[in-house]
Amino acid sequence: MRRYEVMVILDPNTEERTVQPSLDQFLTVVKDGGGSVEKVDVWGRRRLSYDIAKKSEGIYAIIDLTAEPATVKELDRQLNLQESVLRTKVMRPEAH
Amino acid sequence: MAKPAPRKPKKKVCLFCQEKLSYVDYKDTALLRKFISDRGKIRARRVTGNCTQHQRDVATAIKNAREMALLPYTSTAR
Repeated sequence: MRRYEVMVILDPNTEERTVQPSLDQFLTVVKDGGGSVEKVDVWGRRRLSYDIAKKSEGIYAIIDLTAEPATVKELDRQLNLQESVLRTKVMRPEAH
Repeated sequence: MAKPAPRKPKKKVCLFCQEKLSYVDYKDTALLRKFISDRGKIRARRVTGNCTQHQRDVATAIKNAREMALLPYTSTAR
């Protein structure tokens, strides 16, 4: 098991209220894989430095979790399949 | 005519060694902005005064932040 930090940029057109439930839904794969989610930090709407998919804003969320490497890979794959996810980044803060 | 004394540039100390920060966080844009020019370019080590290791860490953090649109790749000031 390893600690990971996942950053997600969501479509700005999704409602602020629905962000948390949809993130929880994405994260079920972590719980099924025997991992645990420590913290979900929603930064909220933020201006992008450059346009992504013709959008100039995005909803940022940071997720701290502990899981097996394969589980995180699967989570990242599923996130990238979502239409409402503009971009993701998986980091291991302890690797530095 | 005596030559003017050579300028002694003040030795800069690496900010991260001073503060004893081991990990440069790519999410901390306020900090990273100190290390990019107004055109969005990464400042050279001779300008920032960072040590070799921390300059590397800063550069990686800036590149990560750029990927997530937290910092610009280019900004056309002028």
